[in-house]
Amino acid sequence: MTKKMIIMEDNDIVATALDDIKSGDTVHIMSSNNQELYTILAKESIPFGNKIALCDIKKNESIIKYGVCIGECTKDIEKGKLVHVHNVKSLRVDIPKSYKKEIIKQMNIDMEG
Amino acid sequence: MEFMGYKRADGAVGIRNKVLIISVDECCEGIARHIAKGFDDVVLLTNYYTCMLGGNEETFNQMVEVAKNPNVSACLVIAMGCGSISLEQIMSPISKTGKKALGINCIESGGTKKTIEQGKQMMQELVKYSNSFQREPVSIEKLIVGVKCGGSDTSSGIASNPSVGNMVDKFIDLGGTVIGGELMELLGCEEVLIQRSKNREVAEKIVSLIKNEESRWSVEGTEVETMSIGNSIGGLTTLEEKSMGALHKMGNRPILDVLEVNKNFIDKPKEPGFYLSEATMLCGGSGINFLSFGAQMIVWTTGGAGFNNPLIPVIRVSGNEDLINDDIDVDVTGIMKGIEGIDEGGDKIIEKIQQVANGANTNIEGYGESSMTLYQKDQRVEKLLDINCKR
Repeated sequence: MTKKMIIMEDNDIVATALDDIKSGDTVHIMSSNNQELYTILAKESIPFGNKIALCDIKKNESIIKYGVCIGECTKDIEKGKLVHVHNVKSLRVDIPKSYKKEIIKQMNIDMEG
Repeated sequence: MEFMGYKRADGAVGIRNKVLIISVDECCEGIARHIAKGFDDVVLLTNYYTCMLGGNEETFNQMVEVAKNPNVSACLVIAMGCGSISLEQIMSPISKTGKKALGINCIESGGTKKTIEQGKQMMQELVKYSNSFQREPVSIEKLIVGVKCGGSDTSSGIASNPSVGNMVDKFIDLGGTVIGGELMELLGCEEVLIQRSKNREVAEKIVSLIKNEESRWSVEGTEVETMSIGNSIGGLTTLEEKSMGALHKMGNRPILDVLEVNKNFIDKPKEPGFYLSEATMLCGGSGINFLSFGAQMIVWTTGGAGFNNPLIPVIRVSGNEDLINDDIDVDVTGIMKGIEGIDEGGDKIIEKIQQVANGANTNIEGYGESSMTLYQKDQRVEKLLDINCKR
């Protein structure tokens, strides 16, 4: 089965999973108009609806989705890894710490990654 | 693009032809319900809050503005006769639009049974008048569509909201008007909204109104709940991401103004194009807000189902395969499967809008309607938060 992810705008540096992605899967990146752009290797599990890094992202860099900044990277993210609350924070109103801990626990996110 | 609508005396065009009964005071509702029995295409609007003004001015304004909406052909206004909101205060601005409005004062008409009898006679006259309207071809420039999301999930940000956004741009380019915006849901999108504003004045208004909403929801001792744990597990990382997903249903065209519901006025779109508004972030109440801004239709994206309103047809769009049922009018699950583009989603919604404007029922039109909730800002709280009501 072909596993797909979608980018919302051309300059996005993250794509959203349209399937449950496992570590080691080759993922097909689609444009929002259903054009296949390229493939990328997933380096960890990315659950449906979650985001993958399309390039190496450095600490303090902006995370671009929908063509705009949706938050700030809090530690280096390697291409192919999960982009979520454990390595990104909001610049407007961030999620309370206790919520973050609970999300990381429930999603079984690898904090070392 | 044209549609077949009901031309009203003030130049506005309805896509539905409903007789509205307004129960001015909450104690009249039972009487109004009895009067409505046996008539088709009759909708009841009740002021559940009170029979007095003194802080309920928004509700008063909204009753009038809903009656002025072009989906309403004629109006019966019922007051008990002992409250402080007079029949004349409601009827006079409605009549000024050229719409037929009749009124009953229950005390003057001799009590409940006599009022019901008299009301039924008036309804016969109003229904006859209403039936005199026939659909005629009109330009899309007379059509105002509200966009709203609810029960949002992963598919909303990827499939249904972008499809609606695509529709919005196409619809505006065709000459139509779109109203979007639960302002609280746009927290974190301010920069994008400023870029899209027609001018600096509009940009400043957007920022200050979003700030007001934030103040209303932020109370010391409670967290502003902007995102749930469920939202995050579904894939949302930050508030900006959630807000951008919501904003996606509002397209890319310039924002001409922000329409306000206030104790002194309710704004209307002045020319075709895109507007933001103070539609509540709750679905039920947004129906009445969109009606009072003059919209004739709502396009609603959802990961859930439901939301219906008896006066304003609601087109339900979903991209969540697990939740597609016969409530959903436009299915955009193909985008989630990677077999359909957003452009196609937008085209499907445009086509559905035209069908519904021409009179085709939405899938659950006439079923399971949400209540007609009027808007109310508590003026005492507004004063404490230093939020002024000014034009």
